[in-house]
Amino acid sequence: MHSIIVVPPAGGGERTAHGGRIELASGDVLPFGRDVPAGGLELGHEGVPRIAGEITAHHAFWIIDNLSENQTYVVENPEGAGEHIKIAPGRVDAPVPFEFSRVVLPAAGELLAFEVWAPRHAYRTASRSGLSGPATAPAFALDRTKRYYAVLAALCETRLRGAPHAPVPTVDQIVERLRPAWPSATRSSVYWNIDYLAVKLRLKRGPEDHEPGLRLNGKKESLVSLALRFDLVREEDLVVLGCAAPEMAP
Amino acid sequence: MTESPYAVPVPKGFRVGSWEVLEPLADGAFGSVYAARRISADSGARRIWADSGARRISADAEAGGELPAVAALKFLPTGTRAPHRFNHLRELAERETELLSRLRAPRIIRLYETLTVEAPGRPGLDGATVLVLEKAEASLAALLRRPPAPAAGPALLVQVCEGLHQLHRAGWVHGDLKPANVLLMKDGSVRLADFGLAAKLEGAAAYSPGFSTPDHTPPELHWAELGERGQQIRPSTDLWAFGVLAHLVLTGTHPLPGSTAEARGDALVRYARGAEDLRLSPELPGAWREIVTDCLARTHEERARHDASSLLLRVERAAGSTSSSRLRSLRLLRRPRLLVAAAALLGVAVALGSAVVYERGGEEVGYGYHHCPAQSVCFFSEDNGEGQMCSWEASDPDWLAGPETCAWTRHAPVRSVYFNAGDPAAFHGVEYFRGRDFTPAGFDLERDTLRTGCTAARAQGNLAGTYAPRSHRLVKRC
Repeated sequence: MHSIIVVPPAGGGERTAHGGRIELASGDVLPFGRDVPAGGLELGHEGVPRIAGEITAHHAFWIIDNLSENQTYVVENPEGAGEHIKIAPGRVDAPVPFEFSRVVLPAAGELLAFEVWAPRHAYRTASRSGLSGPATAPAFALDRTKRYYAVLAALCETRLRGAPHAPVPTVDQIVERLRPAWPSATRSSVYWNIDYLAVKLRLKRGPEDHEPGLRLNGKKESLVSLALRFDLVREEDLVVLGCAAPEMAP
Repeated sequence: MTESPYAVPVPKGFRVGSWEVLEPLADGAFGSVYAARRISADSGARRIWADSGARRISADAEAGGELPAVAALKFLPTGTRAPHRFNHLRELAERETELLSRLRAPRIIRLYETLTVEAPGRPGLDGATVLVLEKAEASLAALLRRPPAPAAGPALLVQVCEGLHQLHRAGWVHGDLKPANVLLMKDGSVRLADFGLAAKLEGAAAYSPGFSTPDHTPPELHWAELGERGQQIRPSTDLWAFGVLAHLVLTGTHPLPGSTAEARGDALVRYARGAEDLRLSPELPGAWREIVTDCLARTHEERARHDASSLLLRVERAAGSTSSSRLRSLRLLRRPRLLVAAAALLGVAVALGSAVVYERGGEEVGYGYHHCPAQSVCFFSEDNGEGQMCSWEASDPDWLAGPETCAWTRHAPVRSVYFNAGDPAAFHGVEYFRGRDFTPAGFDLERDTLRTGCTAARAQGNLAGTYAPRSHRLVKRC
């Protein structure tokens, strides 16, 4: 039932379930700072105020309070080609429209950052507006311009191209496949997107979640079968990969 | 290509099987519904696009079921060249066809036949699956758009609950119960429709493709996790939706606060997490309050203590329409209005065949007739089946004496009538008289027929009179 996920800075803090991610349901408030009450997001750096701010989940988006005296925070859209918003000191209830964001706090000459995901952003077909009554909504709303969609397309490509029992590609193969359209693709960015897709598509967390190796493979398999079953990626969607599939190595 | 607002645009006059498409009726997330009239497949010089060898549902053919003159055609874009080419649409079409061809129940919309469009020149239509369904007059959603809340709400809900009971007993879960999927027929009865998300129970649960209407979805399915087979739904999913529907019908408002579906979604989350209690409308009558509260219990486990059959008993009791009671006189449907002096010129019954009050498109729709139990003849104190009602299952030689009396007719006229005869009906008419023992009295004596009026089986309408009959009897025909 959560709609917002906060991902603490890598390495910092103890590991909890789901990689330390904090899930917020609509109305939940998460304080962040150097010395926050239990349940808050602790940012252990001398340059961060004791209570630096708050994040509140609202429907499918979130709002942020900057509780610092004199520091401006920046919320970046990592896929937005530099798109960002500034949150001035003292500003409360600033709405953040991005599906995923990096919140950047200046701290004594350094920059601290953590991520916030808003995976429930919804899309509907414009041509179907004007119809009366509440519509039966699809379970998934994917943004086809986002990188996670390209990763999903790459995962599904071989099966969509007529090899229904082909093994799902490895992360390295996906990186190679995405490079023409996304030159800076790396293993870690692909991992990140697979993780995000599992959240976005609300994959059931299986018992294999405890074993890291199995976990990734199971996740990829589940993503592909879900995507194909519900037509989240169709053959004509493979254009997001940028060019025709490379020749298979003999 | 210009996008039509309809999922499947079908031109007027298009022919499929023995049907000619008329105007669009409704549009859903997956398909479009059009009115159609039956023509003989070989009539006219116009080109027939239809697949004339279309498969008929055999159950109907065996039962000697005639195709009706008009029907609702539901087009599902299952063709391989449709612009919205989705494999899962084929799965939805299969679900709906499977359910409807197997399950014939009084409160489930009737499927007459399924057809496949063969129209090579029209890629959007070619290969579409067409379900030929009973045509309804309106949906409950259309009725609810016109406040105030319908006076016959409780009777409507009884029928919706009957539908759920029939569905669950047959081993299916609806999965998308909402006002738009509750249809109202010309005779005032209710049908459940739209079974694209219905799922067959496998043990205690079923798998649905994961589509849902947020306002009618229980908390556990709100952004729920998905397995590879989709979303797990259970009969308690429909119970939640029934609770929402009952609140909407009885009070005109959604049970959770908020002006948008998103805001209500937030309220749902807060309620489900125990942060807030359910605050139902104070307008909700006591017996209904308990029913709605049980249907809207926070968890599946709490809701699962109830099922459609126990719910039906309570809903019937709350609506005051237990099927065992024979006489249902003096049922106050709503606060009586001051009766306006009738402007009737002659005080005779109008020709009922032409007085059917159901109309399409923005007009007043009278659903008070819903309150009339099956196999009964009902007389009402106000137009359109509203006001107080007396109903009988048989003839009555004296309305004001004997075991069954209809006291309000002593002082007030009968304004509308409905003969809710069974199908097939043993009697095809009900005649009524101003005198006792089926005898004419007063103005009756000046009429050729020597009676006040006669209403055919399944007819309903307003009476122009300022009188109340004193006796009525069921007859073979009027």
